[in-house]
Amino acid sequence: MNTREVVIVGGGPAGLAAAAELKALGVDDILIIEREKNLGGILRQCIHDGFGLTRFGETLSGPEYSQRFIDQVKEMGIEAITNATVIDISPDKVVTADTTEGLLKIQAKAIVLTMGCRERTRGALAIPGTRPSGIYNAGVAQSYMNLFNKMVGKNIVIMGSGDIGLIMARRLTLEGAHVSAVIEILPYPSGLPRNIEQCLHDYDIPLYLGYSVIDIQGEPRIERVIAAKVGENGKLVEGSEIEFPCDTLILSVGLIPENELSLSAGVVLDDRTKGAVVDENYQTSVPGIFAAGNVLHVHDLVDFVSLEAEDLAKGVFQYLRDGKLEENEIPVCAGENIGHVIPQKISGKKDIQMSLRVRKPVGRCKVVVKQAGRELKTVSMPKAIPAEMIQFRVKAEAFVSSEPVEVMINE
Amino acid sequence: MNRRTFSCIICPNGCEIQVAHENGQIIEITGNKCPKGVDYVRQELTDPRRTIASSVRIAGAELPLCSVRLTKPVPKKDLFAVMEEINKVDLTAPAHIGDVVIKNVCGLDSDVIVTKEMERIS
Amino acid sequence: MENLYDVVVVGGGVVGSAVARELSRYQLKICVLEKELDVCNGVSGRNTGLLHSGILSGDQPVRTECCIEGNAEFDQVAKELDVPFKRCGKLIVGFGEEEKQCLQQLYQHGLECGIPGIRMIDADEIKAIEPNADGDTGIYVPTAGILCPYTYTIALAENAAQNGVEYHFDQKVTAISRTPGGEYEIQTENGMWRSRWVVNCAGLFAYQISVMLGFEAYVPKRVKGEYEILDKKAGKFLSVPIYPAPGKAGDCDIHITPTVDGNILVGPTLEDVDETIDYSATQEKIDQLMEQGARLFPRHVKREYFIRNYAGIFPYVADPGIQERVDFQIQAREDIPHAVNVVGISTPGLTSALPIARRVVEKVKEQEELRPNEAFNPVRKGIVRFAEQTDEEKMRLIEEDPDYGEIYCRCECVTKAEIKQAVHNILGVSTVSGIKYRTRATMGRCQGGYCETRLTAMIEKELQQDVKDILLNQKGAYMFVGKVK
Repeated sequence: MNTREVVIVGGGPAGLAAAAELKALGVDDILIIEREKNLGGILRQCIHDGFGLTRFGETLSGPEYSQRFIDQVKEMGIEAITNATVIDISPDKVVTADTTEGLLKIQAKAIVLTMGCRERTRGALAIPGTRPSGIYNAGVAQSYMNLFNKMVGKNIVIMGSGDIGLIMARRLTLEGAHVSAVIEILPYPSGLPRNIEQCLHDYDIPLYLGYSVIDIQGEPRIERVIAAKVGENGKLVEGSEIEFPCDTLILSVGLIPENELSLSAGVVLDDRTKGAVVDENYQTSVPGIFAAGNVLHVHDLVDFVSLEAEDLAKGVFQYLRDGKLEENEIPVCAGENIGHVIPQKISGKKDIQMSLRVRKPVGRCKVVVKQAGRELKTVSMPKAIPAEMIQFRVKAEAFVSSEPVEVMINE
Repeated sequence: MNRRTFSCIICPNGCEIQVAHENGQIIEITGNKCPKGVDYVRQELTDPRRTIASSVRIAGAELPLCSVRLTKPVPKKDLFAVMEEINKVDLTAPAHIGDVVIKNVCGLDSDVIVTKEMERIS
Repeated sequence: MENLYDVVVVGGGVVGSAVARELSRYQLKICVLEKELDVCNGVSGRNTGLLHSGILSGDQPVRTECCIEGNAEFDQVAKELDVPFKRCGKLIVGFGEEEKQCLQQLYQHGLECGIPGIRMIDADEIKAIEPNADGDTGIYVPTAGILCPYTYTIALAENAAQNGVEYHFDQKVTAISRTPGGEYEIQTENGMWRSRWVVNCAGLFAYQISVMLGFEAYVPKRVKGEYEILDKKAGKFLSVPIYPAPGKAGDCDIHITPTVDGNILVGPTLEDVDETIDYSATQEKIDQLMEQGARLFPRHVKREYFIRNYAGIFPYVADPGIQERVDFQIQAREDIPHAVNVVGISTPGLTSALPIARRVVEKVKEQEELRPNEAFNPVRKGIVRFAEQTDEEKMRLIEEDPDYGEIYCRCECVTKAEIKQAVHNILGVSTVSGIKYRTRATMGRCQGGYCETRLTAMIEKELQQDVKDILLNQKGAYMFVGKVK
């Protein structure tokens, strides 16, 4: 069987950044396995701009952003195979990939999981109604429009105000479709404020906050969507139904880390993130298997995906050098108004990067990191919204004991 | 004097900026984390501009479309005129990031450039 | 004469396809007229996929007899037609004294009908058979099994097609008349077909064809059932179907059924419906599925396992006189020569399809002598599923055809090679759902998020279709309005 120091599963922004950083640290025997015919991952279809401000200090389109990493990986001579899909990862780190050359089996010393995420579907939400054609997930519509030259519809309703949905509202409008509404069940948008501004407001697309899609009608093609106001008690407000005629419904209702391979490897997942439970080195519950990017937790910006993957490389490097990493026993818990925190386990002996999201929007507030009743760190925020990821570093000196660490929002 | 709230679109911070203005002049401004916010608001008050990302047909590549964008923002009112020009373009692979597809589109001092590496496959 | 057939079968469901296949054992020019764009778009594709034992067929002798016969032969049938099948047995469970009595009666009935191997069991035995099932009394039915209803229907249809049967889609029958010469003229929305024989296997619409042929005017008593499909992650926890004790009408309410592919079906809810065909899901029924499903299969009927919901309509019919649900009707009448009328084939139609088909053949033979088709081959091979092969077999497949080395559907691990074979299926079906039913692509938890773009690109390329002509599943179900540029 072939052996490799590191196998990286997925050649998107996380995988590419991890590879380049590992190589820079001196790891030579790296293989990236990518299922698409080209590297770059989902960014290939994200043709809008706004990527790279944090990482490169300029605004780029998705393909341009990923090309920088692709070029870097190529220049560094890192090996990557494309059009190859990993179909299994075993707990003892044998990676099996399906390729046109045959079934590739590689014994890896370390594995980096960078498979990204998938979209939540209509079926998962169990939205009532007919099953006509014309219902697309936002990312699928984006792929059809930006890669495959297929126009999904003319009269569009978008369910969910996630960023991809907002971006698609603008894309569809620019390409000649009419977007009549974006319907969001929550009382606040799920996407970033700048996308509300430049994708909806710029094109006079109304956003219905606090509305739930209660019925899908029409067959064989979708003809209309019925939405109703969600009251403060969570129940639908009688008589608040609005009918939205359309020929297409785009769903932008959330992303789920794609962890089927992680599960086959025996990696323990976090019920909140749906990604792996990791320590401060981004190591999962299986020693030598690491995860970063959207497969770990869904990020708001790709820049942070790249930065996280670069951070991960240090842990992988140390693991390869020492044959193991020290066990991390201190749990990090999500407290008041915190959706999740990465990492979930720390040693208390290292500076750590904390990534988290709030559950519901708040105005001026403080993120507080506590241990044994003591405040280790506070970060003041002018506002915090679920659409945005919050990141900050906590110094090793801050930790006082081996008791659990809790992160919370104080208003 | 008018008051208006802007969501700054310059960077992902998306600052919510409160502005008091009169005749396109900023009188009072709060909520911006950086000076770019002031520039953004000034531009919005006098001459709002946006950039566009789209795609053009390409022959001889693995995919039928090649992504493009503008090099500089153009007046908001001209976005659809620019789209019409973009829609007319036909490329043949290979195409490279930065290739100028339309120079000075609609005379707006902005170029349409390729944003994806497209190899020739046939 | 053009379009003159020996037999026209109306309806390409499991019964129509079984009839076509069984008739293709004889020297006959046969065609199937199907109103949809693929087989099994109606009742046959929208059910639980259970190989019934016959115990739940009530006091209806034809239904029970066909079911027991179909059950007994299915290992052989599955082998011949290369369809996945598991004879996993089944549990019918009850809670409390009332349901216990009901189960005891049902058990007696089962013994009288000669259902093989059934036994009454207690709570401990229920747990021994399926640790994740609940209930304090049960009947264990060892002969029951699970199969994939559309794979089976497609297999019957493909085998029929291999043996010379023609399938014509988008042919909704609107009128049938008989010429003085004794030929039938079958008018469809898209043409006229002439045949010496007509067999009515029109499923939900069989009562209408029945009238067109001159048989009784049965009264439709349709029952709609909604289902929820659960992720394979839940599927790991269930090895046998769990049914609740039947209600007063003898119908089994919401049950939990593992599928041969490893998912779980929760349903059906049962609701009397009129003649409108409405497969919509309703919030009320979704909630009901959750609640009642959790009673039988605690802890695993969870929203996070939801993949998709669907509904089926069961084509019960009532006798025009007494207004009661009738048994399976397989009729021929002297005053209506050369016609066989198959009506009221609701559950267990899937299990009974071939026995019904043989009875249809008998009816034909009563009126004319049939000469065997020496070339008939009962064996049909399905598309080899990459996901189900050993590593050695996978390697061999890729070597033979490198398209097996490209995964198109990641959730179900379906390769380009399989998709390509499906696109070029023998029946000439070209819808996206046609490919789905033949390969399982788009059926996983991402519901086509990854592979649907590849499927449509394959249809476009291999079948030279304009993007506007690519259909999801039926006429008018267009996927795209055109090209972007």
